[in-house]
Amino acid sequence: MYRLLPVLLLAAATSAAATTYPLTLTDDLGRRVTLQAEPKRVVSVLPSTTETLCALNLCERLVGVDDYSDFPASVSKLPKVGGLYNPNVEAMVALKPDLVVVSKYGKLAESLTAAGITVLAINPETYEEVFSKTLVLGRVMNREAQAKALVIQMRRDIARIEILTKNAVVKPTAYYEVDPTPYTVGPNSFIGVLLGKAGAVNIIPASLGDFPKISPELVVQQNPQLILGVDLATARARPGWAGIAAVKSGRVTAIAPGSPLDNLLTRPGPRLPLALAALAKIVHPELFR
Amino acid sequence: MSAIESAALPRPRAGFRASGRTLLLLALVLLAALLALGLGSVNIAPAETLRAVWHGLSGQPLAGSEVIVWQLRFPRVALGLLVGASLALCGGAYQGVFRNPLADPYLMGVASGAGLGATLAVVLGWNTALVPLASLAGALLSVSLSLWLARVGRSLPPIRLILSGVVVGSIMTAISTYLLLLTEDRVRQVFSFTLGNLAFGGWHQVLVVLPYALVGGACLLLLARALNMLQLGDLTARSLGLPVERLRLLIIVAASLVTAAAVSYAGIIGFVGLMTPHLVRRLWGPDYRVLLPVSALAGGGLLVLSDLLARTLTRPTELPVGVVTTLLGGPFFLYLLRQSRDE
Repeated sequence: MYRLLPVLLLAAATSAAATTYPLTLTDDLGRRVTLQAEPKRVVSVLPSTTETLCALNLCERLVGVDDYSDFPASVSKLPKVGGLYNPNVEAMVALKPDLVVVSKYGKLAESLTAAGITVLAINPETYEEVFSKTLVLGRVMNREAQAKALVIQMRRDIARIEILTKNAVVKPTAYYEVDPTPYTVGPNSFIGVLLGKAGAVNIIPASLGDFPKISPELVVQQNPQLILGVDLATARARPGWAGIAAVKSGRVTAIAPGSPLDNLLTRPGPRLPLALAALAKIVHPELFR
Repeated sequence: MSAIESAALPRPRAGFRASGRTLLLLALVLLAALLALGLGSVNIAPAETLRAVWHGLSGQPLAGSEVIVWQLRFPRVALGLLVGASLALCGGAYQGVFRNPLADPYLMGVASGAGLGATLAVVLGWNTALVPLASLAGALLSVSLSLWLARVGRSLPPIRLILSGVVVGSIMTAISTYLLLLTEDRVRQVFSFTLGNLAFGGWHQVLVVLPYALVGGACLLLLARALNMLQLGDLTARSLGLPVERLRLLIIVAASLVTAAAVSYAGIIGFVGLMTPHLVRRLWGPDYRVLLPVSALAGGGLLVLSDLLARTLTRPTELPVGVVTTLLGGPFFLYLLRQSRDE
């Protein structure tokens, strides 16, 4: 059955037809958006969207990206159109795009639509949405077959890692800190799912939600064997944390904001398998030598 | 003259009645502190809690949940008492020195200065241990700037002080906001500081904040009688032989030091400093010799109680302590306000 799976999936992929325009669809802001023709000049204001478009071999269609898009390297040469909090609407309009792909947050959609530009909000947040939004983007860009192939490729790369981590004899308990408030991640959040697939047991129960602000006491009480998102010196200096298993054994990994690992883990895009691989290597170094 | 005396000095009987209330408040604060030591993401029996405190105090090895009581909760409670007391005391002193009911400890730009210091440290990627120091420097710089801008010759007119404090604060906030926009990915790290947070309060923080609170607090308490006289207006106070300008400067400097230390190690906790002195004024009267120490006690208690609720209401998750403080103190204050209107 496992051997058959790629064949079946490939069959499904080749069944994708060319997109017919005008194409009307509901975006992630709940707006009905109609595309009159295949977009040729695209502005992306999310790093994950930029990466997905390039993974679909559409890098050339990008005429502008947000300040944070930096992968693949070629996009850093494109005009920058600001960030979430300081978008440069004029710069976007000046680039004469026929499509701007925005996030769910901010109010870009209103002002750009008023300027007569087609705006589509595509904003993957959960693990499964990475795949479904890739397919949506593929359909929008008339690259449905490529999008399906990309999703299959990603799922295959992930399965290769998961096969090792799933059968790990001992799964370390882990605590992942998003920021020092401290906010952490629940097992159903994007990072939470990756953590589980990397073969760790999250000390945070799903009932607390995806991004709970927790009491540091909980971490002391749960005594995780692995801590991510804090540097060792900080963890050691926190009251009562010096006795936590992870701190004693030194299995504490900092994830600096803006670092390559941080970018992988905070961008729900086509480099998802790489994010999982990086995480799995931290959780189970013995499996990925 | 008799009118002045009765305004400045409380009658002995009122003082006697107030002391009963003060004892009750003290008992409530101690009760809140004890509860805060025992309750949390795990509940610990009172006997075990006290044993943990005893083991911690006597330096014996800590077992099991004793670590949580002694190393996490005790310093957190102590820091809560200290910060709450500092903010309430300074709020009371500021309201007195400016004769303005809206004055709070952040009036001279301490909070926005501290916020800018912390933002700079985070944006520049400094070690986390340096964030409070940068914040302290920012707070003191902000106050010095406000004082310098407000100065007219040798005097410090309250209106100019308030205006320059507000403007310096706005400028500092604008710079912080701009820096944050440049480095969006660190926004949350800065927010976790500026929103006020006792979660990682440890013995280290307590020991750093304590000397500021003690020295500055003692200074403010010694000036309570002068604050009483200042309520009669600058002219009258001056005619009573009070060095009004020097006094104002001294109180602002002392209160700013205390506030800056508290803010730098616990973040910007709102409401306690504004409302606690008002609450105390309604229940204990306007004599600053009573108002200031009782405000400190009540402020400490309010913050400890709020922090206890913040970490137990939705445990093991935590609510922001500032939200609880406001939701707890706000309605109580409004109730007192209505009561006094009915009288």
